[in-house]
Amino acid sequence: MGRYALKRIVSAIPLLIVISFLIFMFIHLIPGDPARLIAGKDATKADVELVREQLGLNEPLPIQYGKYMKGLVTGDLGYSIKNGKTVVEAIAPRFEPTIMLTISSMIWATIIGVSLGIISAVMKGKAVDYIAMLIAISGISLPGFWLGLELIQIFSVGLGWLPTGGLESWQAYVLPSLTMGSGIMAILARFTRSSMLESMREDYVRTARAKGLSELPVVMRHAFKNSLIEIVTVGGLQIGGLLSGSVMVETVFSIPGLGRLLVDSIKFRDYKVVQALLLFFALEYIVINLIVDLLYGVINPKVRYN
Amino acid sequence: MKNYKSIIAVLLAGTMLFSLAGCSGGKKDKDSSSKGNQKTEETGKVDKDGYILKGTDTESKSEDNDLVIAIEGSVSSMDPANIPDTNAISATRGVYENLVQFNEKNELVGQLAKDWEISDDSLTYTFHLNEGIKFHDGTDFNAAAVKANYDRVVNKDNNLRQRRTFIVTNDDGSEEPRVASVETPDDYTVVFKLTKAWSPFINRLSQFCIISPKALEEYGNDIMNHPVGTGPYTFVEWEEGDHTTMKKNDDYWGEKPEVDTVTIKEVPEAGTRTAMLQTGEADFVYPMPVDQIEAVQDTKNLNVLAADSNIMRYVTLNMNLPELKDEKVRQAMNYAIDKNAYVQLMYSGYGKPATSVVPQIITGYEEQPAYDFDLDKAKDLLKEAGCEDGFKLTLWGDNSTQEIKGMTFVKQQLEQIGIEVDVEPMEPATISDKIYVDADEAEVNMWYVNWSASDFTMDGSLRSLLYSSMCPPVSANTAYYSDKDFDKDLDDGLTNADSDAQAKVYADAQKRAWEACPWLFLGNDQVIYSEKTYLSGVYVSPDGAFNYAHAALAQ
Repeated sequence: MGRYALKRIVSAIPLLIVISFLIFMFIHLIPGDPARLIAGKDATKADVELVREQLGLNEPLPIQYGKYMKGLVTGDLGYSIKNGKTVVEAIAPRFEPTIMLTISSMIWATIIGVSLGIISAVMKGKAVDYIAMLIAISGISLPGFWLGLELIQIFSVGLGWLPTGGLESWQAYVLPSLTMGSGIMAILARFTRSSMLESMREDYVRTARAKGLSELPVVMRHAFKNSLIEIVTVGGLQIGGLLSGSVMVETVFSIPGLGRLLVDSIKFRDYKVVQALLLFFALEYIVINLIVDLLYGVINPKVRYN
Repeated sequence: MKNYKSIIAVLLAGTMLFSLAGCSGGKKDKDSSSKGNQKTEETGKVDKDGYILKGTDTESKSEDNDLVIAIEGSVSSMDPANIPDTNAISATRGVYENLVQFNEKNELVGQLAKDWEISDDSLTYTFHLNEGIKFHDGTDFNAAAVKANYDRVVNKDNNLRQRRTFIVTNDDGSEEPRVASVETPDDYTVVFKLTKAWSPFINRLSQFCIISPKALEEYGNDIMNHPVGTGPYTFVEWEEGDHTTMKKNDDYWGEKPEVDTVTIKEVPEAGTRTAMLQTGEADFVYPMPVDQIEAVQDTKNLNVLAADSNIMRYVTLNMNLPELKDEKVRQAMNYAIDKNAYVQLMYSGYGKPATSVVPQIITGYEEQPAYDFDLDKAKDLLKEAGCEDGFKLTLWGDNSTQEIKGMTFVKQQLEQIGIEVDVEPMEPATISDKIYVDADEAEVNMWYVNWSASDFTMDGSLRSLLYSSMCPPVSANTAYYSDKDFDKDLDDGLTNADSDAQAKVYADAQKRAWEACPWLFLGNDQVIYSEKTYLSGVYVSPDGAFNYAHAALAQ
């Protein structure tokens, strides 16, 4: 497994290079001149030229790309165009809120979602199944924006129990996590249910039942364990999405996370920050996929890596 | 090559759109007023003190002595010489002060300077400084500190936005300083000698914050993370994207601040800002979208206020186009627009129809005879110009909901007189790319846009937009307006130290531009904000910056 992991990490390098190239080209091809944005509406052509020169935007694209790659290798990601902070300084404080929010949303969404899925698979066709799936469908169809504002109205303005946003205390995480996790809870519930239904039809489940095992061990040890691979795959992809930050949740709850930073930076054409963020998101997906693949082996020892 | 580039761009943009669709769907437009004009009779009423809604519970008390201001955008910098947005102006003004400032009545008064004189030739500005002021780090404020700050700003290596106030860059890249010398004849006198008369200079100094020279030496450009000024509050922390905090400066040289701390909290969603005000998490909220006013109608300890802004809303008309060459056509178009309906529809009545090429707040403003909504007159004028059959034009503008609404309104109005309008909303940066091109490549017909001159000068309001040499790509004269006499008025305005003579030339400039109609003159909207009734002393200036130097929370 160790060798497999190493091989995967090494093979990710050319992938990252390709991605970095795509990101670079993409950012430099969107219309909109950052020099003009920085210089301001009343700037004259000469003022804009001066800014362009200071930012190195006058150089041919291949040279800019070369410098950017060199920076990546040496760890120098450059400066934010907006206020002159280093890119690391601009991005670093945004990690914690996004990571904390991802963890808190994933924990409750997984516990509730998977439980709902198992229950409704076991109780297929009964009222409990319908109620569980109704909850799941609501979770995925309520627009997060609306849900977030409603939660604020009820729990902050109405009842006064929880703050409207920010991340100063654990209470502050409750409403954003609820909003952020509701869709994932729903997805996990649906996936768990269908995958459980499938594995419960398998021969080994029938054998387990025939052996006279009671229902709980049959469901948990035999059926659920085999559904885990699918659940882990879906869950992994969701984590990847959450770690890129959610603009919607971060906006409604005033959370200074990665999602808002990305959108603000794109608006400002803050090239260096956007490049660093996109590359980080790509890296994140690669790492999570690797972790998911490695988990397969843990879940099912029959999976071999070679 | 260009084609090939644009194909890749389109492909990539498509992919991006596809992947972003999921997260952008819920984002509500920041300044949308979804009310439309259904309630037109009720909205738009502001009493003489600026109240839209006055809380009846005037006895309510604050639980703490910590002021929290919730704002929409971001405080993107704490370096007053490198300000990217208005919120950064507001935030830095807690810590820093200028030689001169605009007071609540928008008059220019001394701040760090006691008083000043301008020589008759408008070239020498002599400032007499207040004595006994110390920076937060204990350093003395004096003439040398002013000079040190000037030297920092003009140093090209520091790459500061404010450099442009003092240095003009010519088209060929060469540079010309506006200031010939800064002299400090004694500790409390500073003399700026200009190379050429430039009347906005004094107003621009209201943006020239004085930083502790000792701190500048210590931190260099990292001063943005360690602000040290002379202001009523000392810096505590700045977390971009989240909040900026300051605390009371007990040794403040002026009227002592009353609140213990000030926190400027970035809350992008309007509904959340309103909720924070209701729960008491925030004491002051800016801006307050019109559609939120109703939500707080029953909250007794809230005030909602409106203040005039320096925002001018207009549509530029490309006068190089054959359709728009004739002054009569452009005047006809102005007569065809119901400006009152515009203000009602767009700002629920919180604003005024434009009455000159600049808002009322600009120094030297003079009211012009209105182009009152009159379709018959408009049609007659079109007929006189031989355009009674109408023609077709495009209208560009930003792609926000609010801007699209305004553009659609203009389209609908102009179609009443047979002018067909294609509304083309675009992402702001894309518009910039299409606007700032050489004259022979210009595709712009009409541009729905706005302007706010943060120095409140006539020159700052008009030069970039209407001076003949300021056509794109040089600057933003997208009307391609060219009138030698108008240019001369603006130039004379720069050199006139005598304010009466200056008023005269500026009045003439306004009259000329108003009659020539390089724009469709739309309106000047107000800024709306809300506060707890127990808060006093905080207000929003016409440039959208808020002032909290004298904030007090009733305990």
